[in-house]
Amino acid sequence: MIRTMIAAALAVLMAFPAAAEGEFAEGSQVTGWKNLQGRENALFTAKVVDILCELTGDCAEKCGACKRQMGQIREADGVLVLAAKNSQASFNGATVDLAPYCGQIVTVDGLLVGDPAVASTKFYQVFAIQREGSDNWAKTKRWTRMWKRDNKDLADKKGPWFRHDAAVAAAIEANGWLGLGAEADKTFIEEFY
Amino acid sequence: MLKWIAGAVLALAALPAVAAEGERVQVKGEIIDTWCYFSGVMGAPEAVVGSAHHTCAIWCAAGGIPVGVLAEDGTVYMVLKWEGNGDVAGDTLLSVQSHEITADGILHKRDGVNYLIVEQVVADAGITNLSHEDFGVTPGFAIPKSVTGE
Repeated sequence: MIRTMIAAALAVLMAFPAAAEGEFAEGSQVTGWKNLQGRENALFTAKVVDILCELTGDCAEKCGACKRQMGQIREADGVLVLAAKNSQASFNGATVDLAPYCGQIVTVDGLLVGDPAVASTKFYQVFAIQREGSDNWAKTKRWTRMWKRDNKDLADKKGPWFRHDAAVAAAIEANGWLGLGAEADKTFIEEFY
Repeated sequence: MLKWIAGAVLALAALPAVAAEGERVQVKGEIIDTWCYFSGVMGAPEAVVGSAHHTCAIWCAAGGIPVGVLAEDGTVYMVLKWEGNGDVAGDTLLSVQSHEITADGILHKRDGVNYLIVEQVVADAGITNLSHEDFGVTPGFAIPKSVTGE
């Protein structure tokens, strides 16, 4: 009897999609980043755009060549989806991975993310990009590769890029780890650690 | 000839379908790292703003993650342009991370997102949200052990 009840309960549970499954989840292969708020898999076809250009007509060559915020106009419903993040776990956005596809139709696989308590919509973390007509998927890991290319003198240093990047180091040098100056850092470190 | 036509088609494909008029606004709020704020990847929203999250916000801005302005009413404005500079994905905004600013600009709303063209920063109060007093630093490894002496 108990076995029958458990089996029936499991059958009922299996008949429903996972709570996080969204409208565009079908076919998505993304499995990680389980701790994100509002996480739902999303695979869709879209046109890659420079958002500033799309909204205002202020356009730049090659969508700003990795320096402007990028989005995707979803083919299914025309929604402009802001691409906030690539697949790398080292504080990297999506611009460097999407800019090479400026103006092109692609299929993207990733996650729609956003805490409904604070977000008015969900933003996209893009994990893989497939050019229209291609069988190949490009994983979105271009950011650190490009950083190493542009920072050859720092690329071999031990530790992640953000510990060595010159602009980051200059910002922290100027105002400290808390942004409040050296004296505030000193007090905080003495009290907290 | 065919190459010329293909080039023209690609150029047209990159152009926007419709460029809409925006709304002139003045926004007062804190410059934030939008990925950590919306995704919860580092913890609750109140722990990923202000001084607690200052270093991580610099990393994220340098990494090209969208920078936002969190207004007092909780609305977040995604920054697309900063005082004439559209290159906002990268090093442009490192010096104002976590600052409380007042900006004049143009607001564009599209599909649930508020996009802000910052024309002029009319006030910069620096960092006023001393969140490190409640949360320490987020993430906990923001300050390296070589500095903390751990």
